[in-house]
Amino acid sequence: MARDRDPQEYARPVRRILVGVLIVLLLGLFLLWRVDSPRVERFRMALIDRVVPGMDWAMAPVTWVAGVAGGFQSYSRIHEQNQELRRELQQMKAWREAAIQLEQTNAKLLDLNQVRLDPKLTHVTGVVLADSGSPFRQSVLLNVGERDGIRDGWATMDGLGVVGRISGVGRSVSRVVLLTDASSRVPVTVQPSGQRAILSGDNSPLPPLDFLEKTDVVRPGDRVVTSGDGGVFPPGLLVGQVVQGSDRRLRVAPSADYLRLEFLRVLRSHEAERIGDPGTLIPLPGGLPPVADGEAARGRASDG
Amino acid sequence: MGSMFRDGVWIWRGLFVLIFVALLFLRILPLPAEAGRLPGPDLLMGLCCAWVLRRPDHLPALLIAAAVLVEDMITMRPPGLWTAIMLVGTEFLRSRAAFSRELTLLSEWFMVAVVMLAMMLAYRIALTLTMLPQPGLGMTLIQYLFSVLTYPLVVAALRLALGLRKPATGEVDALGRRL
Repeated sequence: MARDRDPQEYARPVRRILVGVLIVLLLGLFLLWRVDSPRVERFRMALIDRVVPGMDWAMAPVTWVAGVAGGFQSYSRIHEQNQELRRELQQMKAWREAAIQLEQTNAKLLDLNQVRLDPKLTHVTGVVLADSGSPFRQSVLLNVGERDGIRDGWATMDGLGVVGRISGVGRSVSRVVLLTDASSRVPVTVQPSGQRAILSGDNSPLPPLDFLEKTDVVRPGDRVVTSGDGGVFPPGLLVGQVVQGSDRRLRVAPSADYLRLEFLRVLRSHEAERIGDPGTLIPLPGGLPPVADGEAARGRASDG
Repeated sequence: MGSMFRDGVWIWRGLFVLIFVALLFLRILPLPAEAGRLPGPDLLMGLCCAWVLRRPDHLPALLIAAAVLVEDMITMRPPGLWTAIMLVGTEFLRSRAAFSRELTLLSEWFMVAVVMLAMMLAYRIALTLTMLPQPGLGMTLIQYLFSVLTYPLVVAALRLALGLRKPATGEVDALGRRL
């Protein structure tokens, strides 16, 4: 019947309604994410898990070429670098000698005092798959995930310093939110003075120190290590050095080399044991089961 | 069924998907990236705007929504919000595609710049209203400026590399319908 009419004339209002429905659905997804973000984030990790490793074969050559180009530029100053490295190596040798002597002294003292230290942390090493972020989000993807036993919240380091924490684990990939990301907050201690602070990323290469109690005892050049407060990171991991920014704020220059994130170590932290119940004066008839439980849990954690 | 393949429209859609995947791929390459560097242009936005003004029939709303949603997911943006704003923006441009045929590139550029600014502002306002952390205004403005500046380059690339241009007046498709 609609012979003399263009069929598109009917299609137009229908189309407009459908686009409206689509927009409402998308806004609904956004609100759902805002209200219940873990569920949507899990879906996001599943999607990344599916997509990114599939791109890996194509990424490898491009990254390699870019790396070669970068290396080529540095050939021009190879002599300078060589001299610099020699000087540094000389200094390092002196330090190494000092460190070995200190280690021996330390071991003797520990033995004499019968100190029980934290068990050594084991780690899983992963390769950086992709820089899954925009200029506004600082995060990378690693090629280790749930099947390697990675869990949310674990600390990630390069050879020297803390890089960030795991946030989002897929089956074979996991996401590391870097210390420089605007949403990263890490409790730290500034070393010689023992001042506690929060290292809060702000999308700049030098994240600032917040909530310092006495700023006058902290000097540029002080070492910054994780404090282990809040039980997220193990204590004593090197983060970086205090520097003073151009805005007179105390900031941290990370020890980790953020320009060369290639292999990252994910530290297996064991769950912090909690002391839940208040102490009872009368011991339980069956001995001290909580201690035995704790020992078993520790054993399991260091196995796994 | 044959009308679905008229004028090779699905080939164009496939091309769009290919370009989108390439852009996304370049974005997530694990190249050294320092925090605080200058943000580059949002090329996907420019591409969608330019394409929709030239051949609105190539890019159905669903395709744009799917592409931007995937980008939202992979680049850790709040999912859905930017997609919805892109959809509104491109629908606005789509309804003016016929009108823009008479525009010169300069006035088209101006129109697109205004639409892009509105989209960025809407995004920031929505983030503020839902109390989400957002990048500094300066960074957003720099990204906006780059996006606007690269728009003519995107248009030129579409024209030269793909041969995509506005249909001439009275041009018809294979079934004899007006474009």
